[in-house]
Amino acid sequence: MSLKLTNITKSFKDDLVLNQVSLSVEKGQTLVLFGPSGAGKTVLLRLIAGVIEPDDGTIEIDGLDMQGVEAEHRGIGMAFQNFALFPHMDAHANIASPLTARKQTKDAIEAGVQKLAKLLKIDHVLSHQPKELSNGQKQRTALARALAGEPATLLLDDPLRNVDAKLRFEMRLELPRLLKDQNATVIYVTQDYKEAMAFGDTIAVMSGHGIQQVGTPADIYLSPGNIETARLFGDPVINLLDVRPEKGAQGLQVQISQTPVSIAEGYSNAVDTDCILGIRPEALRFVDKDMPGAFPVIVEAETPLNEKTVNLMRTVNGRELMLSRPAGSPGPSEGEAYIAVNTSDAMLFEKTTGNRIEPLHAAAKSGDSA
Amino acid sequence: MGEFTMSVPAKGRFSINRRYLPYLLSLPALLTCIGILIPFFTAVIYSLQRYRLSQPWARKFNWGENYLNFMTDASFWNTLKVSMTYATLTVGIELLLGLGIALLLQRRSTFNNFVSIMLLMPLMTAPALAALMWKLMTNPGFGILSYFATLLGIKDLNWASDPATAMMTVVIVDVWVYTPFIMILLLAGLRSLPKQPFEAAELDGVPRMFVFWKITLPMLTPFLLTATLFRVIESIQQFDIIYAMTQGGPGDTLTVFQVEAYLNFFQSTNVGRSAALMMILWAITYFLSNIFIKNWLRLREKARGEA
Amino acid sequence: MEQVSTLERILRGIAISFVIIFFMFPILWIFLMSFQTNETILQVPPQLFFEPTIVNYEGLITGQLETAAGSLKIEFMGNLFNSLFLSTAAVIVGLILGVPAAYAFARLKFKGSEDIAFTLLSFRFAPPLLVLLPLTIYFQKIGLADTYVGLIWVYQLIVLPLILWIVRGYFEDIPADIEYAYRIAGHGFWSTFRKIALPLAGPGIAAAGLLAFIFSWNNFIFALVLASADKQPVTVGALAFITASGINYGQIAAGIVLSIAPTFALAMYAQRYLVEGLSLGAVKG
Repeated sequence: MSLKLTNITKSFKDDLVLNQVSLSVEKGQTLVLFGPSGAGKTVLLRLIAGVIEPDDGTIEIDGLDMQGVEAEHRGIGMAFQNFALFPHMDAHANIASPLTARKQTKDAIEAGVQKLAKLLKIDHVLSHQPKELSNGQKQRTALARALAGEPATLLLDDPLRNVDAKLRFEMRLELPRLLKDQNATVIYVTQDYKEAMAFGDTIAVMSGHGIQQVGTPADIYLSPGNIETARLFGDPVINLLDVRPEKGAQGLQVQISQTPVSIAEGYSNAVDTDCILGIRPEALRFVDKDMPGAFPVIVEAETPLNEKTVNLMRTVNGRELMLSRPAGSPGPSEGEAYIAVNTSDAMLFEKTTGNRIEPLHAAAKSGDSA
Repeated sequence: MGEFTMSVPAKGRFSINRRYLPYLLSLPALLTCIGILIPFFTAVIYSLQRYRLSQPWARKFNWGENYLNFMTDASFWNTLKVSMTYATLTVGIELLLGLGIALLLQRRSTFNNFVSIMLLMPLMTAPALAALMWKLMTNPGFGILSYFATLLGIKDLNWASDPATAMMTVVIVDVWVYTPFIMILLLAGLRSLPKQPFEAAELDGVPRMFVFWKITLPMLTPFLLTATLFRVIESIQQFDIIYAMTQGGPGDTLTVFQVEAYLNFFQSTNVGRSAALMMILWAITYFLSNIFIKNWLRLREKARGEA
Repeated sequence: MEQVSTLERILRGIAISFVIIFFMFPILWIFLMSFQTNETILQVPPQLFFEPTIVNYEGLITGQLETAAGSLKIEFMGNLFNSLFLSTAAVIVGLILGVPAAYAFARLKFKGSEDIAFTLLSFRFAPPLLVLLPLTIYFQKIGLADTYVGLIWVYQLIVLPLILWIVRGYFEDIPADIEYAYRIAGHGFWSTFRKIALPLAGPGIAAAGLLAFIFSWNNFIFALVLASADKQPVTVGALAFITASGINYGQIAAGIVLSIAPTFALAMYAQRYLVEGLSLGAVKG
């Protein structure tokens, strides 16, 4: 079952929510819709589900135009961010609702509910009303309900947002396998880039009423389409510095900390324009003073962050930089130090538009670094 | 995905459904009301006719004559005056009394809640029956209130049957029935006010009268306005209490709009005049209800937002 | 509010006492009166202590009134039945018509929906006689004069706006996602309306129904204009009662007690919703 959206536009009264959105997902694949709240992700899901209609554009599921097809006939399962459990039905009835809609026999309904309940470890609370369930149990019930109809298309609207950290961690491990077993076309909405990277065969970055970029998780991370995407993906957040590329003795370079640092030759068309240099914290490393491209910084702090150690530093001009390295690796925790970046890891963005500048002959290079 | 394939129904079925469903759902209610709109337009026509049930042969359009006649018709001016007096007195007293009681009962306590529920009983009494109850209590022969009046030295108080006290009597009944309405609306309003300004004022030692005039009243205004307009609209149309108590008498002491129109229609069978009276009353209430609905909507949005 | 002086407490106490006496005394007095014979009622000064009797109620229930002038038939039980029947039927009809419409106004915003909803609301404020007087003439022409059907129709003037605006609010309070979830699970529009919207708005629908019943029961003018003796509810019947010659005052009091008891009982039951109902949903209690 594939899903294809073409030029979807939707406004509520005078508010444009989606502008000319096009997307496609292949059968069995998971597409993650990633973006800040208000980007129109939820509206897009509702349009696909058929509970609201687009002003313009077409939605095709498995090649069939869905215009005029009611929500109940679209073969969709959906889990809502706020769970949207039926408050007057117990967990069992909630999960069974897609099965009762299909006029299944009692035995088949019972078998279907039990199977999912066991899988999601909620078989002991099936007789509970939604208000008696913990948030985690609610979330699993909502998920079970979405899966119960064995839908060809599964829409998951930030299902882990309202659950606690421990459960979120568990579900992050469990969910991808569960989704693969369903063999459904999945659209997964999230605001968490780690979730996006973990679940998505493809990630579509949404903001400002439209899709900014579509690509594999690696694509999005290594070649973000613009500053906004670059900032949203990655923790700690990408370092961004105002620079003006120039031609120097060693080739193309920018000034960081009053030191020339080489950048890829592919950026030659950006010479003498205002740009923003983006360097992932993990692309920076401590080096010896006399190494080529090394520039001086003052290390201000060191923070352990799970398996990483993060250093907060300042350039000679007083700009903040963050460096992340494997925990336990050697490095100064304060004072003067020198750092360097691989030429291929420095990205350039246009200052005016925020769009990434595609280096000439970059295709082969980005393949290497991935 | 097993047996659960999509069943795509014939096209068109859904678009008809989606487009016409709301109308389908609300149509029965609408039709019922259209049945009521027809008499409204009939009333407009009647009001432009010379139309007496007793003289059907003389029925003809006289256009604005019914309305023009009002200009020089002392009994019309009396109706207007009586209606306005009634509305002003009842709503004025009910507002003061209702606000006072609401302030007394403002604090949530078992006793206060019990009293406020008890006070709903007059409001739940049919106004016509309330008039009847007061009629029994003000009977000059055996009425308990007449007895109390004699204890206070007031002899021969004839209540509703004396032109001097008839207005007072029906106003008392109206106040008895409808003060609780204003009271519970304002009580709900008072209890919904945010606490911080009052706590801040108390900490600062602001005098309580000042708090009342500068904080409580302004914040309560939307509730006061809604309650007042609601009551004015109803009070200017009052029929039940006055008709059940005195049928508009003695004489024309209490011939408010609806009573006068009723008597015109059924006693003097002057349909044209009766309809013209109703049109004037309708114009007044329409004007008031437009203001009312705006306030009411604002309150409703707020109540929904808090829910 | 915490530091209340003794003087203020006393003043408040006095004020509350006056309020309770003014609003409760008439009900208490009529209640006492209903257990008295004409002889005790007519005594001056009025007696607070008397031998209670239930003859008044007996007379009302059997419909036979023994007076000095002889035996008199009264229709009070018929009036009570009419009140019950008219109010119940009006509420049922109002719910059948009003609940789907309320749902349409709440959920399916359509062209003109707000205008229609406000037109319905404005009926609540129009003078009833404006419509009733021409209606008497129409009803005579189309044979609805003095019929239950005609009365129940006219009762919709007060019942429909109430149900529509209260129930609409309750439908609006149901998160749309819950209904969406049921649709997506594979259920049709009507099934969703029946299994999700109706049960979740259930308390509101019940409250609106109870309030509409109270307002219908308390209505006077519709039946006064449109109904003859055998279709009259208690509000109109009781009035005719007082003018009947040779009647016992105790019986009138008993009639009033029987007529207001049902609405009191319902109001106590639904008091949580009264504020909302009386303000047509503008104020929540």
